[in-house]
Amino acid sequence: MLLQRPAIPMNKSSLLLLALFASLTLTITAQAVDKKTGKTDPQTDLREITFFFSNDVRGETEPCG
Amino acid sequence: MGGLPKKAQQLIGLREKKNMVLALDSGGLLFKDEKIPADQTQQLTTTAQGIVAAYNRMSFSAVGVARQDLAAGLDFLLALQQKSDFPWLSANLVRRSEGKPYFKPHTLLTINGINIGVIGLTGNQGSDALPSEKDSTVILPWEDVLPKQISLLKGRSDMLILLSSLPAATNRIIAEKHPEIHLILQSGSVSGNLAPERINNTLITQVEQQGKSVGILEVRWNRRSKQWEDDSSKNLLLEKKNELDRLGWLINRYRKQGDPKLVFKDQPETLAAYEAMLAKREKMDQELSRLLGEENARIAKRTQLSSFNYRFEVMRKDLPDNPEVRAIVDATTNEVNRLGKMAAKARSAAGIAHDQMFFPENYAGNSVCQSCHSPQAEKWRNTKHASAYTTLESKGQQFNTQCLPCHVTGAFGQPAEMVLNLAGDLRQVGCETCHGPAKLHAAQPHSNRPGKPTMEICLRCHTGDHDDNFIFPEALARLRCGSL
Repeated sequence: MLLQRPAIPMNKSSLLLLALFASLTLTITAQAVDKKTGKTDPQTDLREITFFFSNDVRGETEPCG
Repeated sequence: MGGLPKKAQQLIGLREKKNMVLALDSGGLLFKDEKIPADQTQQLTTTAQGIVAAYNRMSFSAVGVARQDLAAGLDFLLALQQKSDFPWLSANLVRRSEGKPYFKPHTLLTINGINIGVIGLTGNQGSDALPSEKDSTVILPWEDVLPKQISLLKGRSDMLILLSSLPAATNRIIAEKHPEIHLILQSGSVSGNLAPERINNTLITQVEQQGKSVGILEVRWNRRSKQWEDDSSKNLLLEKKNELDRLGWLINRYRKQGDPKLVFKDQPETLAAYEAMLAKREKMDQELSRLLGEENARIAKRTQLSSFNYRFEVMRKDLPDNPEVRAIVDATTNEVNRLGKMAAKARSAAGIAHDQMFFPENYAGNSVCQSCHSPQAEKWRNTKHASAYTTLESKGQQFNTQCLPCHVTGAFGQPAEMVLNLAGDLRQVGCETCHGPAKLHAAQPHSNRPGKPTMEICLRCHTGDHDDNFIFPEALARLRCGSL
């Protein structure tokens, strides 16, 4: 397969720098989204939630004695 | 039972560890029974208000309305709702004339980006009529209201929860018919905690009554699939593997003496059994390959499914109290006992009886018993029964009519006014608690023999709610008075 020549000529170190910058930007964005939504697993959209549940306290605040 | 201060501390501790915690209660928190005696209304409604204040402090997100919660009347609960920071939910407790619910039928909560719809259903078991509003109020069958609530919430929520005080069997039917409901938290008198059980795509769980435990369910929820992970195929695979191993072991036994076709050539039945086993193994091999393929596909899809862990935490006596809820409980206890003390004083001031001492009919009092049965009395003094009332006093609960009957003698079935003014000789769990009223026996010892302790008598107080460890024969042997 033939690779297309880039429109703007770019040397190897510039390309590496660009790739690093892109990767850094993506990481920062992903972290921001993660914190904002509380998403625990961005790849699968699994979200954590804990239920604390009770029933039938039956009019007692604590034992009589 | 550890009480609300311990429960609050557990919840706060959980919130410190986990960010996304939702506290829900399926109901039955205000009163023990569906009806309350008129002379105890003040004390019991004061306690109910204290419970709501504690739940406010614990930031509960929703509470279901159970029938016991209506024991002080619908108006009381409607007024209490105004003081509650959480919604009381019931979709089926409605005005008979319009069919309109008295409480919110559902609420929509958002936590960690998950929209959670919570629906409440009030159990209609028990007597047909509600305590006082029977003409205007009715508890509709769940079939009449639930489908509508589900359709209202289905498009708006990622997860649907039902807080139900319906019987467990009914909740199972709901789970079978409505897999759109993902979790049913049920309320009711069960002994022990019920681990989450999956029926179709619904988990049903419950903690044991009277706040002796709390349930903690940690969920990893996929908003897209809304499906719980299914362990049944994994279990089936394991079962089949074990079966195949056993079959392999049997086949090897036939091969121990050499090629079975040669060894058993003169025993056609044995050879036939061997060949049947080979055929069975081949069939099982094929089935196992199929199940394994399905399991691998399931594992590949696993990220799409939701999973959970659960635990029940017993509210042990040694757990720490939450200071703020402790203060609420202490203030409530003080108020309940202040009301009891006032009622006791009012009676003596009104001069209803010739003095403050009340003796239920046919009771003699401990000192009369002891005058003839001193060795037995000596033994009794070393039991906890002998200090039952003192324990109440030390906790400041000696004017609480809910507590008193199990800490004194002869109070069961008596009006609160009498229980509060019981003679000193009947304070503590004395001889006549176990043996019955002994006034006649004291007058004519030989012709009127006192009764023997029965399990029914003990179980009035040593219920599973209050004494998990009670075993009647053991208690009888330990407390036996000996020869009279």
